[in-house]
Formats: sequence, C-alpha cells, structure tokens
Amino acid sequence: MLVPPASYDARLINDLFGIVYVLSFIIFILVEGLIVFSVIKFRRRRADETPNQVHGNTAAEIGWTVAPALVVGVVFGFAVDTLGRMTARGSPTMPLAHVHNINDKEALRRIEEAKQVDLVIEVVGRQWVWQYKYPGGNVTANETLIVPANKTIRLDMTTADVIHAWWMPAFGPMLYVNPGEVSYVWFNVPPGEYIGQCNVFCGVAHAQMISKVRALPEDEYNRWFQEQTAGVSGRVAVGDPQRGKDIFMNQNICWSCHTIDGTKAQGNVAPRSLTRFATYDTIAEVVPNTAENLRDWLHDPQAIKPGTAMPNLNLKPQEIEDLVAYLQTLR
Amino acid sequence: MATISIPARTDYMKRGIAGWLATVDHKRIGIMYLASTFVFFLLSGLMALVIRLQLAAPGLQIVNQDLYNQLFTMHGTGMIFLFTIPCLVGFANYFLPLQIGARDVAFPRLNALSLWLLVFAGVVMEGGFVLGILGLLPGGASNAAWTAYVPLSNKQFSPQIGMDIWLLGVVLLGVSSTLGAVNFLVTAYTMRAQGMTIWRIPMFVWAMIVTAAMVLIATPVLTAALAMLIADRNFATQFFNTANARLWQHMFWFYSHPAVYIMILPAMGIVSEILPVFSRKPLFGLKAVVVSTILIGILGFTTWVHHMFVSGVDPIVERFFMLTTMIIAVPTGVKMFNWLFTLWGGSISLKTPLLMCLGFLSTFVIGGLTGVIQALIPLDMQLHNTYWVVAHFHYVLFGGSVFGIFAGFYYWLPKITGRLLNDTLGKINFALMWVGFNLTFFPMHLLGLMGMPRRIATYTGDRGWDLGNLIATIGAFMIAVSVLIFMANFIQSLRRGEPAGNDPWEGNTLEWTTTSPPPEHNFAVLPSVNSERPVRDLRLAAAGQPPAASREH
Repeated sequence: MLVPPASYDARLINDLFGIVYVLSFIIFILVEGLIVFSVIKFRRRRADETPNQVHGNTAAEIGWTVAPALVVGVVFGFAVDTLGRMTARGSPTMPLAHVHNINDKEALRRIEEAKQVDLVIEVVGRQWVWQYKYPGGNVTANETLIVPANKTIRLDMTTADVIHAWWMPAFGPMLYVNPGEVSYVWFNVPPGEYIGQCNVFCGVAHAQMISKVRALPEDEYNRWFQEQTAGVSGRVAVGDPQRGKDIFMNQNICWSCHTIDGTKAQGNVAPRSLTRFATYDTIAEVVPNTAENLRDWLHDPQAIKPGTAMPNLNLKPQEIEDLVAYLQTLR
Repeated sequence: MATISIPARTDYMKRGIAGWLATVDHKRIGIMYLASTFVFFLLSGLMALVIRLQLAAPGLQIVNQDLYNQLFTMHGTGMIFLFTIPCLVGFANYFLPLQIGARDVAFPRLNALSLWLLVFAGVVMEGGFVLGILGLLPGGASNAAWTAYVPLSNKQFSPQIGMDIWLLGVVLLGVSSTLGAVNFLVTAYTMRAQGMTIWRIPMFVWAMIVTAAMVLIATPVLTAALAMLIADRNFATQFFNTANARLWQHMFWFYSHPAVYIMILPAMGIVSEILPVFSRKPLFGLKAVVVSTILIGILGFTTWVHHMFVSGVDPIVERFFMLTTMIIAVPTGVKMFNWLFTLWGGSISLKTPLLMCLGFLSTFVIGGLTGVIQALIPLDMQLHNTYWVVAHFHYVLFGGSVFGIFAGFYYWLPKITGRLLNDTLGKINFALMWVGFNLTFFPMHLLGLMGMPRRIATYTGDRGWDLGNLIATIGAFMIAVSVLIFMANFIQSLRRGEPAGNDPWEGNTLEWTTTSPPPEHNFAVLPSVNSERPVRDLRLAAAGQPPAASREH
C-alpha cells in the first residue's frame, strides 16, 4: 500500500498485500518471460518451415493445473488467517449481524471486544457531508473528525439518504453505510492528520464528500472537547463576516454545493447563485430574506423547507452568527 | 438433419439501403453489428477522453460535475453493452456459421431482430445523452454510474427522465442479447458440418457456445432487476425500497459478474484461433482449453458476491465467494499456459493479428493476477472502489477483450472485405495501442493504492495524485491515435488493399475454404470435416501430403 498504514488492521492488510504481491510478481515474470522468449526463439525463419505438431502434454497440463490450485489454496489460507486476526480487533464486518446468523464463540468474543472501546462516535453520512456526534450529544462536527490518539474509537454509522462509505486509506478497511442499517468501523491510530473520502458514488458532489481525521494526544483532545462543550452554552458574540467566509470556504463544506462568483465556491447543487444573496427577496423562495429567518434556516433548513437538498449541518450558534454576517455582505 | 430455415425470398442480397435494412443474411447482419458497435466504441472512447482531460490535473472543470457523472455512466454502459458484448456477437454472426460450415444461422429473422433491437437501444441511449447536453432533455442522461445502485438510482435521488431512458435501453439490449444467445446455441448444436464432432468444433465456436449459455442464464436476471427498478421509479412498487437496497446489488452482479466472462470468453476464442495459425501448430491441449472454458462459464456464476465484500454480507458467505473467485484463476491459468505452449516450439509469424494476441496475453495476465489479489477480502476492504479496481477491469476488458477484438479485426476483416489490411500500419497501430494502454491504466493501480476513489469528478492537488493522472491522460490520447490509425488502415485497404484471396493466413477453419467475401450461400458444396484443422488437411492433400492424423482416438 502506498498510504502508510496507521492502524493495526491497515498493517495486517499491508502485510498480506506484500505476500501476494511477491507471488503475483513471480507468475507475471514467468508468463511475460515465456512470451518474449518464445517470440524470439521460435520466430519464423523460413517461409516453408513446419514445426513439430505437438498436440499437448498431459503431464505438463496436470502440472499447470495443480500448481496454480496449490498457490490459490495457500493464498486463501493467508487471507483467512488475516481475516481472523482482523476481526479479533473488530473490523467492519457487522458483529451484531454475525452473531445473529451464526451463534459461535468467535462471534460472541467479537461482540465483547466491540463493546470495549474508549469512545463511540455517531456518524451520519448525507449528500455530501459526514456529520459526527460525540457522546452526550452536545458536541458535533462536520467534515473533520477530532479524536484522541492511541485510543480505540468505534464509529456507528448511518446514512440519511443514499449509500455512502466512510474510508480513511491509512486506516485500512472500509464499509458501506446502507440505508436503514448501522455500520461499524474501529480504529486506533497515532497522533496525526488523516484524509479520506466517500468511496461509494453518491451523486453529483460525490467528489467533495471529503472526510478528515485529526488524532490529538489525549490531553489536547480533552481540552478541545471541554472547549466545545463550553462553547455550546457560552455567549454568542456579534457575527464576523471574515470568520463567516472562512467557515463557508474552509471550515465547512458550504462551498461544495453553492456558487459565489470570484471564490472557490463553484458548486452546482443549489439552484440559485449566492453571489448577490443579500439582494434576494427570499431565502430558498419560501421565507423573506431577513437575518432572523436566515438564522433559523441555517439552524435547520428542513424545518423551513422540507425536502430541500440542503442538509442540517449542525452549525453552532456562533458559526450561524458569523455566516449570517458574511452572507449579508454579498451584494 | 435439422431443418434449416432459409427464407424463401432471395432479395436479401439486394443492393442499396433497402437491401441492408431488409436483410436476414448472417454476414450482412454481422457487418452491421460490427459497424454499429464500432461507432458506439468511438462515442464511448470520446467520452473517456473527456474524462481523462478533466482528471489530467487537479481541480480542472472542463465539464461540470453532473456532466462528468453522466460521462462515466455512459462510457461504462456504452463500452460494455453497446461495444464489447455486441461487437463479439458481430464476429459470431459472421463467422460462427462459416466456421461450422453452415449457410446461415438457425433463425435468420430472429437474428435481424437482435441487431435492430441493439441499434435502436443504442440510438435511444446515446441520443438521450446528446439531447441532455443540448439542453433538450431536462436533467440530462443517467448519472448514477453503470451500476445504478439504489437508492441513488430511484426517483427521489435521480428524478430525471434520462434515468428511465437508460433503464429501458439496457432492457432492450438484454432482450437482443438473449435472442442472439438462443440463435447461436441452436445453430452450433444443429447445423455443424458433417464430421464436426465435439472435439473438432473450432475454439471460437466453443467460446460462443459457453458465452451464449451464460447469457441465457444471466441476462434475464438483470432484465428483471431493471424492469423492477423501472416499476419502482414510475409505479411506486417498492421492490428495492430501503430495506432491500442490497437486493439490487445481488441481482445486478448476478448478471454483471458473468458479463465479464461474456466479454472475455469470445475474445479468448479469437486468440485460440489465431495463435495456432500463426505458430503453425495445433492448439496445445485442446481438450483442456475447452474444459477450462466450460468451467469458467460455470464458476463465473459463483462469484458475484465478491463485488459486495464491503456491502455488509455475512462473513461466512463472503469467505465462500472469496474461494470461488480465486478458483477461477485455475482454469484461466490452464488456458494461459496452453496458449503459451502453443507458441512454444512453433514457427511464429509476427503479423498484426498475432501481435494483438500477444498484446492480449501480456496484459490480460496482469488483469488476472490483480483479480486474485482483489478477491482477498482483507485487500478488497482497502482496494474496493479505488482506481486499483479501474485499472484491474481495464486490464481484463481492454487488455483482454479489446486486444482480442482488434486481433479479430486484423484476422477476419480480409475475409469480410476481400482485402488485406496494411501490416506495417497494423504494427504501428499495435505498438501505439499497447504502449498507450499501459501508460493509461498501469498508473491507476498506484493511484488506487494511494487511496484515489473511482468516479470522482475532480481532486485537489494535496493528495499526490497529479503525476499518475497526467500520465494516464497522455496514454489515453495515444490509444485514440492508434484507433485513428486503424481506421485509416481500414479505409485504405477498402480502396487499394492487396486482395486477400480465400486463405491469406494458412488458416485452419472452414471460413478460409470459401471466397473472400463469401458468396450469399457461403459454400458451393457444404464441407465435411475430418479433424479440428480441416483447411490444413485440404492444404496438405493439395500438396500431395497425407492429411494429419486426427487427434481423436
């Protein structure tokens, strides 16, 4: 793998890849070598030459039936072994469904291990953003997931619309998030910044459904979490258009669906351009374009216009203030 | 003897457009299959070039994301359903009756129906796409990828009429394909020349028999799934509602994995025809090749869940499908080694048809090996839906099927037109195509390992994917140039190509006993067969040598 593996499972995958890569390379060289050698050695030298009419060779044919079968058997063994070790760590093969289907000891052990995680985060995938909800329900995040490093994190994932797949290449396994189901992934990674993106084609802005993970040392994570919790109940300052623009373009994913001329926001999901938003009479053609309505809209678009493509982004009150301030500068 | 239903009317060799429209002659129908599918190949290829331009550098917006999604949907659909599958059917139309020494297929009118269903469906699907670009079709063509996973493809998330057009088009193609399969099976079963016993059936015919059987079993399942989705979208039937989203995947892949073999087996058949001719040796281990072909056909139906290893399927079921998928490597490996040892010890003539076959062997082996790698569940969890997968299936379907098809063009077009293609241009065609192909698709393995997902309309510059994508785009344009050279070669051969004669390659099979192009009734006297290489026997007899002993005991 060209992405350095960060988790235990990713390292197992990497090791298995190494083994089959070497085996495949040997077969590859053998086949290409035979082609090149034959073409050079047995090229036609005289127009009338007639080679020996060999129809086959039973021993050789049995040989190249049995040999690949053995290689396949060995590789299958390696793969099953890797799977066994991966699932012991809690890989994404839904443990609950597994127990439901085959009531074996191995599965029960996995269920127990699945419970022993340090942090469970709820994940909702929707067109075209990943949303995270931390235990307690007060702290949420979009796009960038902040977790403590070297702790086992389990993501309980659902989807609000179509099939998505949350995937960090450095963490190894991915799993589809199917409608009406909960999918799980586990990971335990060292401090660092990781990037991945939705890996099931999920509609127009699929390419913008980026997910980032920032794994912080435990004390830094705790400090961040405290700040977030405090931020929810803290006082809201007057909106700052500059901060609002930063939220729109960088911290959040508004830019991927909306268009504002002269900026990186060139999305074509939203029906109207926001370039002159402040001059519009309405918000989403349903309510008058006032600051109060805009706050309500950003807080929960679905409540104002059910079925609108704009998702509830779980924006914090301060972020809403800043965004309102920014949007009102667009003339 | 079976009754051969040759229509009483003999106006099907009439000149002019009416003659072509009304024809039930398998050769004319075959030509129209090849010509129309080649047009679809060019269209789908153009779409691929736009896709490659968009991805040549990070952040490009040559087309908007919605159009990009339509482009890769139509590229995949077009290349699979409108080019690779029916183009090989086109070869079978022309050459299967000739190779078994028959005057036509068993059901000539059904054959014409298959063709016109294909043409109609293709025009509707591509026409819908073009209308969408021109702004005449609200919402444009289907943009849910060729896999059309629900719920993305249902009315809520894909409300455009273009999605229904796409679904109806694929239904029609399924019907066309199924009718063709019935026709080939009956033809090969009932209309073989006297003496053409089971081990004397030409390899391409064997491949078509197995392919037709697979089409017959697999295609109705896809057609049913498409009809159910159409009903879901338009009549609120709830076949694939939220609780059943995975059912679509099962039904789709129950057809679409065997479809890989439907696309590769006939190409393998072409390779198995050409290698012996250009090495002047019999096919090494003929029976093993035939048995392997049949085994691939059977095992092909036991692997579809390997597309769903990360969809949430029971782990034990996954392990079963991992093993069955890997086992296919065994019969495939047997065929590979039998081909290699057909070359071994031969008298190898490096004409373009053989070079294209070597292109097949040298690239298909990579597609086969990456297939086994990807069959391993732990690796699939990492590689699923990345560019590694795109690389893998292009090594199978371009490295395999398309090189096989081009081998077929260079080998058989002289029989169809009566004129040889220029071999030097052919060699340039091959070299550019082979190098361009590997430049395009090899870097995609690395992009996949770097974590680049497929079906993304753009990417940012901070992911390290720039160089691989740029090389792939350069390679794609080399392939385009090689196809232009092929077209130039074809046109010049029609105008002033060297006359092919009956048998320009010292062929083995019956199509080389008749004139190029063959007369309306194919053979003045229906031939009889004493070995798996009847035309070689005739050549030896004419030279005063005793015919080779049959391999049968």
